[in-house]
Amino acid sequence: MLTLASLGPRELRARLRGPGLRLQTGPFVTCVQSPLALLADTLAAMYADYPVLEEGGVADFHVRLSGSNGLRRLVRPQVHFHYDGMAPFQPLPLAQAFPMFEWAMNWCVSSQANSWLVIHAAVIEKSGLAAILPAPPGSGKSTLCAALVNRGWRLLSDELTLVRLDDGRVDPLPRPVSLKNASISILRDYAPEAAFTRPVADTVKGTVAHMRASSESVARAQETAMPAWIVFPKWQAGAPATLTPVPQARAHMRLAENAFNYSLLGETGFQAVARLAEQVRTFDFEYSVLDDAIAVFEQLLRERA
Amino acid sequence: MSSLPIWRLVPGQRLVHRCHDGECVLFNDLTGDTHLLEEAVVALLQALHAAPGPAAILAGSDGLPEADPDLLDELDEVLADLAALSLVEALPC
Repeated sequence: MLTLASLGPRELRARLRGPGLRLQTGPFVTCVQSPLALLADTLAAMYADYPVLEEGGVADFHVRLSGSNGLRRLVRPQVHFHYDGMAPFQPLPLAQAFPMFEWAMNWCVSSQANSWLVIHAAVIEKSGLAAILPAPPGSGKSTLCAALVNRGWRLLSDELTLVRLDDGRVDPLPRPVSLKNASISILRDYAPEAAFTRPVADTVKGTVAHMRASSESVARAQETAMPAWIVFPKWQAGAPATLTPVPQARAHMRLAENAFNYSLLGETGFQAVARLAEQVRTFDFEYSVLDDAIAVFEQLLRERA
Repeated sequence: MSSLPIWRLVPGQRLVHRCHDGECVLFNDLTGDTHLLEEAVVALLQALHAAPGPAAILAGSDGLPEADPDLLDELDEVLADLAALSLVEALPC
C-alpha cells in the first residue's frame, strides 16, 4: 500500500501542486491540491501513515487550498479554501493553513456524508467496543479523547462519529486530534511521546495545535466498532470523576442535537438514533483529572466484559 | 351551548416512537421534528389514532386516567400543545 510518507517530499509537493494528492482517511478519499509549502510540510508530518491513491482515482471530495495573489502575497498573506471550485469560507491568515485544512475536511464530511448518521462527537474503541463522546466546544472532549488514545484506547475520530445506517456500527475516521489553548500543554506533558504540530495562535478558536493519530489507529481504519457507551464529558475544576446515567429518551434528544444530519435523514435518522440509544449506556461525565477519567472508562469496559 | 371539540390525529402522522421509563421520543411525520413526551401523552395520541373524540371521552382510554374536571382542563391544554406541534387537530364543529 502506498502511504504519504513513501511518496517522499518531492513527489508529495508535485502531487499537491499538480493533479492532487488522493488521500484516504477512513472511508473517504480526498483530492487535495495546494501550492503551499507550509501545508505540504505539515501534511507530511501529520499524515505520514495514511494511504494515498494513484493519480486519476475517484475522490469523494475535491479541495484546494491556495495562497493570495497580488499585493496580498506580500502583506499579511492568506490561505483560501475551495471546494469543487466554490469558496465556502472566508480566507484565513496563511499560518492557519493546516487548521483550515482540518476544519475544511470536517466540513466536507459533516455536510456531505449522508450515508451515515454523522454525530459531532469524539469516538474511541477498546476490545471492539466504542465510546462516543459528544459535547459542545470547551467541554474537554478532545482533551479527554487525546488522553484516552495515549493510554490504550484506539482513536476512531476526535470530531466526527460515523454511525452506519444499516447495522449501527461506527466507521473509523482517524485524523489528527485538534487541541486548543491550555489543552495543548496539558497533553504535551501527559503524552510527551506524541507528535504535535506547532501551535497556531489567534485563530477563531484561540491557539490550536493538532496531535498526530497513532500509526495503529490509521492502520486499523477499516475496522469498525460496536457502540457501547455514550458519554457527555464536562471538565470541571476540582470535580471528582463522576458518571450520571442519562435516561434513554433524553439521550435520544441530546444525540439528535449533536448530529449534523439528523433532520436531513428524517425517519431514517430517528431510527438510527433510537437504535443507538437503545444499545448503549449513556452518561453525563464530570471530571478534572485525566488519570481519574481514564480509570472510569476502564471500569466501564470491565463492567461490560 | 357550544359543543365540545372533536380531536383527531393530523392525517399523515404514524406515531413512530420509542418509550423507556415513562418517557417517549416521537417522530413527527409532517415536520420532521422529534418530540420528547410523557408516556401518557403518547397513549393519548394512540387513543386519537384509534378514533377521534372529545377530551372527555379520551380521558379513561387505555393508558390515561379517568376524567375529572382538573384532568379535563389539563387535557385541553395538552391537546392545544399537541395541535401547536401539528400532531393533532380539532375537527370543525
